[in-house]
Amino acid sequence: MAEYTLLIILFAPFLGALALIFVSNRQVSLVRGIAAGSAFVSLAASVYLFYAYDSVKGGYQFIQRIEWSRQLGISLHLGVDGIGTPLVLASGILLFAGIFVSWHIKDRMKEFYIWILILAAATIGVFMSLDLFFLYFFYEMSVIPMYLLLGMWGSHTKKYLEMTDPEGMKQRDSVGFIFNFGANSKEYAAMKLVLFLSAFAVAALMGILLIYKFSGLNTFDILILREKAHFSGPLATLIWLLIFFGFASIAPIWPLHSWSPVGHAAAPAATSMLHAGVLMKLGHFSIIRVAFEILPETTRELMPIAAVLCIFSIIYGGLVAYYAKDTKYVIGYSSSSHMGYVFLGMAALDYISLSGAVIYMFAHAMATGMLFAMAGWVYDQTHTRDIPSLGGLSNRMPFISAAFVIGCMASIGMPGTVNFIAEVMIIVGSWNKYPFQVVVAVLGIVLTMAYLFKMMRGLFYGSMAEKYSHSHDAVAVVDRMPLLIMITVSISFGIFPGHLYSVVRSGVDPLIARITKVVPVAELPTNIPQANSPTMPLPAPGEAIAKVTSR
Amino acid sequence: MTFSLTLSASDLLLLLPELFLTLWLCVVLAVDFSFKRIVQEQLAYLTIFGVIITLACLAWFDMTGITGTLFGKMFVVDRMAIFFKVMILLATILVILLSIDYVHRFSLFRGEYYFLVAMSALGMMFMASANDLLSLFVTLEFATFGFYVLVSYLRDDMASNEAGLKFFILGVFAAGLLAYGISLVYGETGKLVFSDMTGAAPTTGLVIGFLLIFAALGFKIGAVPFHSWIPDTYHGAPTPVTAFLSIAPKVAAFAILLRLFLVALATFKPAWALLIVAASILSMTYGNIVAIAQRNIKRLLAYSGIAQVGNVLIGLAAGTKMGTDSILFYLLTYLFANLGAFAVIMAISNSVGSDEIDDYRGLNRRSPFLAFAMLIFLLSLAGVPPLAGFIGKLYIFVAAIKEGLYILITVGLVNIVVSMYYYLIVVKKMYINEPLDSSPIKTTGPLRAVIYVGLAGTLVIGIYPQPFLDWAVAATLMFSNLIGPAASVTPPVTPFGG
Repeated sequence: MAEYTLLIILFAPFLGALALIFVSNRQVSLVRGIAAGSAFVSLAASVYLFYAYDSVKGGYQFIQRIEWSRQLGISLHLGVDGIGTPLVLASGILLFAGIFVSWHIKDRMKEFYIWILILAAATIGVFMSLDLFFLYFFYEMSVIPMYLLLGMWGSHTKKYLEMTDPEGMKQRDSVGFIFNFGANSKEYAAMKLVLFLSAFAVAALMGILLIYKFSGLNTFDILILREKAHFSGPLATLIWLLIFFGFASIAPIWPLHSWSPVGHAAAPAATSMLHAGVLMKLGHFSIIRVAFEILPETTRELMPIAAVLCIFSIIYGGLVAYYAKDTKYVIGYSSSSHMGYVFLGMAALDYISLSGAVIYMFAHAMATGMLFAMAGWVYDQTHTRDIPSLGGLSNRMPFISAAFVIGCMASIGMPGTVNFIAEVMIIVGSWNKYPFQVVVAVLGIVLTMAYLFKMMRGLFYGSMAEKYSHSHDAVAVVDRMPLLIMITVSISFGIFPGHLYSVVRSGVDPLIARITKVVPVAELPTNIPQANSPTMPLPAPGEAIAKVTSR
Repeated sequence: MTFSLTLSASDLLLLLPELFLTLWLCVVLAVDFSFKRIVQEQLAYLTIFGVIITLACLAWFDMTGITGTLFGKMFVVDRMAIFFKVMILLATILVILLSIDYVHRFSLFRGEYYFLVAMSALGMMFMASANDLLSLFVTLEFATFGFYVLVSYLRDDMASNEAGLKFFILGVFAAGLLAYGISLVYGETGKLVFSDMTGAAPTTGLVIGFLLIFAALGFKIGAVPFHSWIPDTYHGAPTPVTAFLSIAPKVAAFAILLRLFLVALATFKPAWALLIVAASILSMTYGNIVAIAQRNIKRLLAYSGIAQVGNVLIGLAAGTKMGTDSILFYLLTYLFANLGAFAVIMAISNSVGSDEIDDYRGLNRRSPFLAFAMLIFLLSLAGVPPLAGFIGKLYIFVAAIKEGLYILITVGLVNIVVSMYYYLIVVKKMYINEPLDSSPIKTTGPLRAVIYVGLAGTLVIGIYPQPFLDWAVAATLMFSNLIGPAASVTPPVTPFGG
């Protein structure tokens, strides 16, 4: 049974979606039951996976390999390492929470759950693919459901942007408004998202095809390519750039981010959660899985690109979030800004900073998931996302406002949440290599504080407009549960990060050892130290955690 | 060249599928005029029955490995011919099913309709087996002959007449080019059979001759710059005929193109590869860009078909064994997605009475099944995983990258994104926009059957393509000696050095 864990995690949502096709839209509780049930199976299996992953042994575990095409050298090769495991868990949690966040959807509920299950399953598929073909397969598969989810259940931003203040003056609007050329319909957002991501995905596909050709191995298998394929010179640079920018667009790195906040704003709450929570991490993850694994030397040479771009991501995203007036724009731009931290952690190519980046991905999934869920709740109650017109909602919704405070704290990286550990690790790990970026990142945290507090104040405190007096709090168990799950996960890993940390380290260590210790092929001495050989001096996981927690 | 016109029993066996279908067509025609009161549907099922038996016969050939040549190599039965014939007959069955609810729109000659459809299929089966220049000409005209009538079958409809006239004039022009090209090639080489021509000296006459033949075949597959008849003909022709036209003649013409370029002209690959690359780039780019502006779904699929042909030509430009595999496989995926899409179009046109994309608004609310089916077919045409079209495109790209066709692949990849835009516009109308008239849309049994077959083909090939890939690979074993010049040397290290 245990060896099939990955198949269960991956196929439970797919089977749930398949089963939903044959259920009528009128059988509301059955539809919800199937969706929640399949998400729960997937979540339970991913919790099992997370705790059953042997961090002492490390490497790829729970491997499944099913021959898929002999001619093309493709097999459904699944397996997780210390990097994939927490991300699979995060996807499982957010899918399960997302099902409950969208519990009250009225319009075409069955179809909504079908697409959200397919979206989540495709995302999970990327996190466990050990075959370049299937990595791309699941990656591209996750894009189309986004189109339908945004288009069918999303909301226009147009009406809101034309809003006027009590004196009848046009309100000054978010910077995002200027940059999306006034097209604020959800159709525009959905189309932009799909075309943007597809355009960059085919660039990544070109990189994958070049890897396939020039490795000469007739296989898409990452584990074989990692051992046997060697690329150098301009070809390696070209492949690396295609892979990096192809996948970084979904991350989204500045200046390829513009699809993202628009998409967030148009999307329904559960979709935003999955989108910001896990879909964006597909970018970082795929870069780690493909570029770091197969092109370690080029990664070492070219990763400074990410270190430069992440400054713009952090500052630009933060500033726009500060001036934005739409709750979802604020959270969306804050996500783009926070993804800059992950790029910083990756760029430093250091054990601590890369581990921090991976943990940050997990932590950010929880924090931003909470924020989007609550922004969605507020929108459902008040039918507006315009921060200046809102206020004082804490009287009407004490639970949501308390949870919102926790969400903001988590997002800022308050001690006690897992985000704190991740941020500290990124900052500590990158300090030696990129001190300037670290300074920027710390300023970015201040900026995060500024815009999140501003939004929190604008939504929940101050005086409340009369028209929102009918809004009410999340009282029912199904409404509170998703938030409570994410809060619990965020805080419990913040207090007991031990297992998460050792799992991540077991994935990061061999990778960094490979990238930083491998000398260029031309200068290889006769006794080549192999990448994963035990001669490599690795810091013991326990020692490093002591260093972090003692701060 | 010795010509033996005496047929032995084993020779007759090779002709069995064609002979049977010919006899069956006579039966269909006889039944049609003998029983005045015969119901259209029964005639349709009678035709389908004959086609299915022909298919079974081909399946038997394929399994027992019956192959051979006839009439001094004019007619060849090999596994590739069988693969193409199976595709043509499959398309024929689906098209006849599509026609059942459409035939009542024809004012006259309803019975002959099925006869003509199956007769064109018969002609295209011969095309798949054509192995020399004479049989190329004869079978191509035989197959097109039926279409001239079919396209203008709506005799009271101006658009249909216009379509027929356009198709006829340009078709005859192409036939003239073909005949002229054949005469030039024969004059230069003195040979007719493809396999005898290998190694002929590339004289000017020969080059012009082959260019003319390529132009005629390009007309059949609708590659740019020979595409000009496609949009109007597709638009005006009766929809089931458009569906038939959009897949079967292309499939048959690709069988001839493969034999012509990879057998007769195998030694000149560097020269013609450039021609194919140019046609491919033009077709993909032109087809996709013009498709964006279309308001009519049939025209949209016409332009998307031009672009799809450009994609298939990538496989031909690769010119390897794998390239031919990928062409066969891609055509199979295209068959299911395209005919499925036409089935949905027919279902909507039967109840809404229009082919305008604007009338697809809110289809998801009117008929979730049709909207879902259309979504799957369009996404398969766009090449989105996990659907068949994605595997087909990827296979072609892999075959091409092994030959170092980087620019061609880059254009192909960019075109995927462009095509996604106009397919998604249709998806947007169906799923996102609200319907103007929310009455539900009913589909009839035969149309449903076609949609189910299309869905099954698109999803099964997309999720588990191995058996179909194996089949395509086995069908092209005759090309296994083809090794491109780029593949025989060690791969270059520079990215654009190939």
